[in-house]
Amino acid sequence: MKNTWLKKNTYHYSDFNDLKQLVDIKDKKNLTISLCLPTLNEEKTIAKEIVIMKSELMTRYPLLDEIVVIDSGSIDKTCEIAREYGADVFDASDILPDYEKFKGKGENLWKALYITKGDIIVYLDADIKNIHHRFVYALVGPLLLTDHVKYSKAFYDRPIAVSKNVMRATGGGRVTELVIRPLFSLFFPELTQILQPLSGEYAGYRQIFENIPFPIGYGIETSMILDIYEKWGLDMIAQVDLEKRIHRNQDTKALGRMSFVILKTFMDRIENLGLIDKKKKMFNDMIQFKLENGNYLPDISPLSVHERPPIIEIPEYARKFHPESS
Amino acid sequence: MKSLLKNILSYEEKIRPLRETILANIVLIGLIPAPTFNETSRGDLLLERLAQAQVDECTRDEYQNPIGIIHGTSEHKPPIFLVSHLDTFIDKDIDHNFTIKKNAISGPGVLDNSTGVGVLASLPEIFKALDLTFESNIVLAGVIHSLGKGNLQGIRHLLESWESPIRGAVCIEGGELGRLNYYSDGTKRCEIECIISTTEGWEHKFKPNAILVLNDVINKILTLRLPQRPRARVIIGKISGGFKHGIIAYNSALGFEIQSDSDEMVTSIYNKIADIVDGLSHEYQVDIHLRTISSVNASTLRYDHPLVKSSVAIMKKLGLKPVSEASGSELSIFLSRKIPAVTLGVTHGENYHLSDTRVEIEPMFKGIAQVLGVIKAIDSGVCDEEHVA
Repeated sequence: MKNTWLKKNTYHYSDFNDLKQLVDIKDKKNLTISLCLPTLNEEKTIAKEIVIMKSELMTRYPLLDEIVVIDSGSIDKTCEIAREYGADVFDASDILPDYEKFKGKGENLWKALYITKGDIIVYLDADIKNIHHRFVYALVGPLLLTDHVKYSKAFYDRPIAVSKNVMRATGGGRVTELVIRPLFSLFFPELTQILQPLSGEYAGYRQIFENIPFPIGYGIETSMILDIYEKWGLDMIAQVDLEKRIHRNQDTKALGRMSFVILKTFMDRIENLGLIDKKKKMFNDMIQFKLENGNYLPDISPLSVHERPPIIEIPEYARKFHPESS
Repeated sequence: MKSLLKNILSYEEKIRPLRETILANIVLIGLIPAPTFNETSRGDLLLERLAQAQVDECTRDEYQNPIGIIHGTSEHKPPIFLVSHLDTFIDKDIDHNFTIKKNAISGPGVLDNSTGVGVLASLPEIFKALDLTFESNIVLAGVIHSLGKGNLQGIRHLLESWESPIRGAVCIEGGELGRLNYYSDGTKRCEIECIISTTEGWEHKFKPNAILVLNDVINKILTLRLPQRPRARVIIGKISGGFKHGIIAYNSALGFEIQSDSDEMVTSIYNKIADIVDGLSHEYQVDIHLRTISSVNASTLRYDHPLVKSSVAIMKKLGLKPVSEASGSELSIFLSRKIPAVTLGVTHGENYHLSDTRVEIEPMFKGIAQVLGVIKAIDSGVCDEEHVA
């Protein structure tokens, strides 16, 4: 495998520190940029993300045109706080209400395409503890400064907050190393150059996102890379080093459920590409075990991998964004 | 002064639209660890903020204090200094995580002093938004090496190397809103360390315990008679020592501070404690060392100094109740150099030096309005004829 892509399409966030230049190019290209934050009970981190992005990338440098929160039904004060600090907040279930309702990050990202107005959309997880505006401008940078890059993805060190005030210097990315990287190595060695394919921070042009399907849950990052790679090739993808991102530590069982969905998404994709032939339908339940009163009891999580179609196929979307063709 | 007091009520509402800018500055500064002697990165960010706000001169002095200078309209008026200390008591290994909620920010060091520095960084944009101009140059300084063993070295060097006169100064602290410090006690911050040799020696039939030796030192300090006039006190602030439950402690350390409004009294108490330490060192045949970490001389503005009177009037106009007590911070260095100065707090908070410190957002607007009022008062000349007592 050649690693020419890695050398050519890998950036460091400091490559894009000249925010004035980014704003000038954005204006010159007559582009608009939306930031989308999918949320579910993120009251501890949401305000900080909105405040910093609004101050740095709307007031100080007008790089962003809107900040949109798509919420999956938080029961804490996420929505109230997000509104207080000036984000446009939407309940995912209120968007395109005539369609079947699902809950999940991918669902929120898909529906955000209908709500946001930007030519470029930046997706950020809402649980970033060490948020900094580089998380946005560094992802937008390659899209603005090059002509060939249409989708950019973050990678970083992943220290884990193991308890309230204790950090572990290395770690994180366990599902990447144990699940995705082996699968990419087996089927798409070229894609192993993407250092953190599961990172939740990415940006791209609307034309890209509207033409690919969105799994409603954890499989969204995997499917997005595979679909963009298959449809347009690796060269239009860039990756950007954001240096450090502190995230919440997830227990092994939660990572197991995440891996289940990712594996299923991956298997479906490679079957559709004719790379494997499954002789039997796969099951939809992740079975784990828990110890209760000295007995091992099955802990079954139904994890169906439902996918939204490319949103351009939805008439309401087509009428709103492509009235000429609809 | 009358027109200033009339205008100041409108400041609060005019500052409010800059909420995101101010909060972002507080959080971005607070996210950068800055224990004393490691403030470089925090200073870089402050300079970057000042440069982005198009402050006329952004630089570091010879001691590496980051400084921004906004040019005034008069070439003859001396500058006004606005300072906040950059360093914190929070170790760099602590997770510097900040949370913003509807009306509060929490995170390690947010009160002392990322809120102060964040407000300092926001002032150029606040001046612009309120269309405030000044006759004097405004010097915005984030001073380094302030706390503990830093011994206020940053502000000392900044003022030593500043050749021209200084018109007046405001020291900005995160909390507590309502504080009005205009005098500083003479202070000696000291450490006593007791070390017992781990090797067997002829002088010890029974090995002494370093914690018990220090306990004896504390008991003897507590028997010292301290006068009501001049005011004097000894604060026992820190103690550490020992290895584990079942082993005699071979080392122990005590941190304390002597405070008085008389420098002579501070020296006198210090000498008495030095005698206690010497005596116990001989008595127990152990090494006990008394060290001075930092010291500040007592200095004050008179309570009827125009700067104090103006500050009180501004605070009262904003509905604040001024509370005055001695402060040992940067203020003391200004006052010791005969520069009129006060320390003001920006907002209310709780858990002052804990990792879950919290500051309230809403009172900040009033706190910043008060700072602007005092700067305006100095710029209008309230300090020009008076000198520090």
